[in-house]
Amino acid sequence: MLEIVKASGLATIQDLGWEVGRAIGLPRSGAMDRASLRLANALVGNQDDHAGIELALGPFSARFDDDRSFAFTGGLTGQLDGVAVPNDTTNLARAGQRLELRPTARPRFGYLALAGGIAIPPTLGSRSTYLPTGIGGHQGRRLATGDRLPLGLATAAPPPGFSLGGIMEEPGPIRVIPGPQAHLFAAEALGRLGSEPFVISPTSDRMGTRLKGPPLTPLVKATLPSEATCIGAVQVPDDGQPIVLLADGPTVGGYSKLAALITADLDRFVRMGPGESVRFRVVSIADAELALRAATAAFDGRLATIRGAIPR
Amino acid sequence: MTVPGSSPPVIAPLGDQALTVTFAARVDAEAAARVSALRHQLQTRSPVGVIELVPGYVALTVHYRPTETDYESLRRAVADGVAASVDPVERDAGRLVTIPVRYDGPDLAEVATATGLQPDQVIARHAGREYRVVLLGFVPGFAYLTGLDPALELPRRSAPRPRVPAGSVAIAGAQTGVYPAATPGGWHLLGTTTSAMFDPTRRPPNLLEVGDRVRFEVVR
Repeated sequence: MLEIVKASGLATIQDLGWEVGRAIGLPRSGAMDRASLRLANALVGNQDDHAGIELALGPFSARFDDDRSFAFTGGLTGQLDGVAVPNDTTNLARAGQRLELRPTARPRFGYLALAGGIAIPPTLGSRSTYLPTGIGGHQGRRLATGDRLPLGLATAAPPPGFSLGGIMEEPGPIRVIPGPQAHLFAAEALGRLGSEPFVISPTSDRMGTRLKGPPLTPLVKATLPSEATCIGAVQVPDDGQPIVLLADGPTVGGYSKLAALITADLDRFVRMGPGESVRFRVVSIADAELALRAATAAFDGRLATIRGAIPR
Repeated sequence: MTVPGSSPPVIAPLGDQALTVTFAARVDAEAAARVSALRHQLQTRSPVGVIELVPGYVALTVHYRPTETDYESLRRAVADGVAASVDPVERDAGRLVTIPVRYDGPDLAEVATATGLQPDQVIARHAGREYRVVLLGFVPGFAYLTGLDPALELPRRSAPRPRVPAGSVAIAGAQTGVYPAATPGGWHLLGTTTSAMFDPTRRPPNLLEVGDRVRFEVVR
């Protein structure tokens, strides 16, 4: 068991979400920064989609009931019984020890993985938490003091102290491809999106990130008949200020979609925090696919190296 | 074979893990029927890599795994699906689902005033129709129902509520629907139902499917 001692921010159980469910209005949900969760899982000998704890906005602490490997990635610093422990590293806790994690300003989200994963019963095949209507996770809600979470059977992990460093980010603009309603905007809208800086608004959350910048107003102010959205869609309401839909965003909507972030750059975008300036670049679907294949091969390679460090 | 004279839909990427087939720019009964026909066609003969289909009013989105297919291959398969779609007659015979409603919503009086009807006439006009589920979304289990009596058509509330009661039965524009959970909402609340629109322990978890016919039943 993992006993939650303090969870004052946004702490939720997340895995890689519901692959199927959009047809009934259930978004993918799951970890906002998928690569960071997967990295944390690999460091403790878990599968990619074991459930961990996503943390943001406030300090978190938990007590271990038994000896267990753990790792934390993304925007977190940690102490075990008051002694600093490194991020992006396989760590070992002894029964009775207390782990305290504090969010850093950036990246926005952090991940705690425990060997064996959080073993709550899945809901419709996932252990993720969809907060807007309280589905999944631990009672459909954020974690709180006193919660006790069952942990799964731990399999072998890399040795304590093992690290391959953190997520390596390519610098540069966040790439987008034109959206299905790009033709409903003035010709310069896509150009502006692809060249001007936008600032991430503090009202951003798991449903989406609001951006402030030059207006990108549609040509015709008429509500689009509701249709499917996607994670990374750049929707533009009447005020011309774009919203990028994220993990808990609605699966259908009536706002025009000027563009959509490429999957290869989604995690990098999610790591950006309120007040940060972001630039985009418009690319083709072929470019997006090439980038995704390259990013997938590189990241899978890193995870394989980590798994290769598990003693036989 | 497609309806003679109807123009081919526009197929475009929706990010790099989905594509959208758009049949019209505005809500249009023929386009809606073509969405339904294509959805059935792609469910029957599912192209490689497809995860699921999400219908809109006049568009259909195909979500896919980029590890199993790519945009160009899927676009071709979907275009073949469009060509093979049968005439857009009513393919969705649909189950009839009855939803019991206690018509005591906070907006009933306001809706009556705005439409020039008595409250019991609003109830009669809402409960007296058969609706159709056109799409699901907004939140899990929320069904958009078409077929609202034109006399009840009103714009959304100018100030949405930050939280509506779970099970609220509501109207806005030419639509009606039931809020599955306590969420923000901008529609006019006519009443509540105890029917669970989404229950993760039930199979399927959603009470309503696209294509279902719905009647509301007055409960005192």
